[in-house]
Amino acid sequence: MGGESRYEIHQDAYIKLVLHAVKHRTSSVNGVLLGRSSADGDSVEIVDSVPLFHSQIGLLPPLEIALIMIEEYYAEKGLSIAGYFHANERYDDFELATVAKNTGDHITRYFPQAALLLLDNKKLEALPKGKDRRPVMQLYIKDASRSWKLVGSEGGNQLSIKEPSGNIVLLDYLASEKWKDIVDFDDHLDDISKDWLNSELFQ
Amino acid sequence: MVSKTEEDQVNRLESQVENGGGGEWEYLCLVRKLKLRRSYNVLKYGLSILNDPKKRSAIGPEEWTLYEQVAAAAMDCQRLDLAKDYVKVLLEKFPESKRVGRLEAMLLEAMGLWEEAEKAYSSLLEDNELDPVIHKRRVAMAKAQGNISGAIEWLNKYLEIFMVDHDAWRELAEIYVSLQMYKQAAFCYEELILSQPTIPLYHLAYADVLYTLGGLENLHMAYKYYASTIDLTGGKHTRALFGICLCTSAIDQLTRGRNKDDKENLQLAPLSALALGKDYKQRAPNKVSMLASTLRSLKLSS
Repeated sequence: MGGESRYEIHQDAYIKLVLHAVKHRTSSVNGVLLGRSSADGDSVEIVDSVPLFHSQIGLLPPLEIALIMIEEYYAEKGLSIAGYFHANERYDDFELATVAKNTGDHITRYFPQAALLLLDNKKLEALPKGKDRRPVMQLYIKDASRSWKLVGSEGGNQLSIKEPSGNIVLLDYLASEKWKDIVDFDDHLDDISKDWLNSELFQ
Repeated sequence: MVSKTEEDQVNRLESQVENGGGGEWEYLCLVRKLKLRRSYNVLKYGLSILNDPKKRSAIGPEEWTLYEQVAAAAMDCQRLDLAKDYVKVLLEKFPESKRVGRLEAMLLEAMGLWEEAEKAYSSLLEDNELDPVIHKRRVAMAKAQGNISGAIEWLNKYLEIFMVDHDAWRELAEIYVSLQMYKQAAFCYEELILSQPTIPLYHLAYADVLYTLGGLENLHMAYKYYASTIDLTGGKHTRALFGICLCTSAIDQLTRGRNKDDKENLQLAPLSALALGKDYKQRAPNKVSMLASTLRSLKLSS
């Protein structure tokens, strides 16, 4: 709970979230993070992610079904819902949406070190020009006063991509328009033959 | 708003083009007709026609409509260089045109020059007070600047004049949902259901909002509207079927220990669970066990 935890996100989990945001660039999108905390509680590993919705975010019915299903599936793999991802509709909007905070609050009840990730559009845009290995997301965690605080890259709490090649692979996928293939829970509810696990995505 | 068949048609054309089978012009016409926002592809395909003199002359006088369509798409994709070029071409061809004037104002918007755009729109409105496109651009501008309450104000003003614009009601509802103003969103869906009672999408959205608002009365209403959605869609609507299950479970929890009479009208849950089970078995077999445990945790079995 606060303190000096480190957050590490696996490449595939990271890329899925960004691709989802890019696929639906004219709306907000959100997703859920799956992971586990280390035995000593010092770090959190975000092993996977599931893109959730790209429309009417905040309505409870689809969210409740999604969370139940996702929890059931990943519990068998020893992973819990460890956080939430949100990308705002507008390019320059860095405000943490209320729905993000509310969902984050809910997740924190079961996973106290839950992370809230917000897509940083400016970093994403700058990615092709630089060699930044850091994720193009802002990390928020709940501090002692029970509110969501932005975590800077200085200090112990930071977010990193597990594989150093993370952003390079991401750029590759963006160039090849891989985001067209990503499936979210909204897509699944519209057509249940669509796989929100995206198990074939990185084959 | 487009029907599933229309959307399938567009997607089919899109794959056709992507796989080298041609059909760019058909796609562009269809997107224009259905008023879809597919700027990425419109720009791509539009450019392939406009940059090729043979293809351009093949579409004859429709060339100008294409310039307009691609200019707007270019603005959406932040290709302002292209947008400026095309607006210039249209200005040369149609120097006095109000329609091109609107496009020019949109370009100002795309460049983030909000005050200039607002001035341009105001002066265009002087000659044509009832141009719905300009009114809607005002809403879009407010939204783009993050002035959501302004967008709501303009949109409400717009709806006072153009109250039959269903897409505008939906836009307003969605804005309210994004601000967690669920009561207001519910009102919008009520208006939509009143004017178009046989469109299942509105029943479903209304039900979703009611469920989100919560409380026994709203849950009962949501249940009713999930049921009507199922009715209007021949019993296969996944979201509505799940909605019935969620409502039943929630009502159950709220009325625990109460009179059984309260629950007498909730007969659809087991049927919905069954319908979902069948559908998943057929179309998503690897998720059947996930569905089963989900329904179990809602205290319903399939």
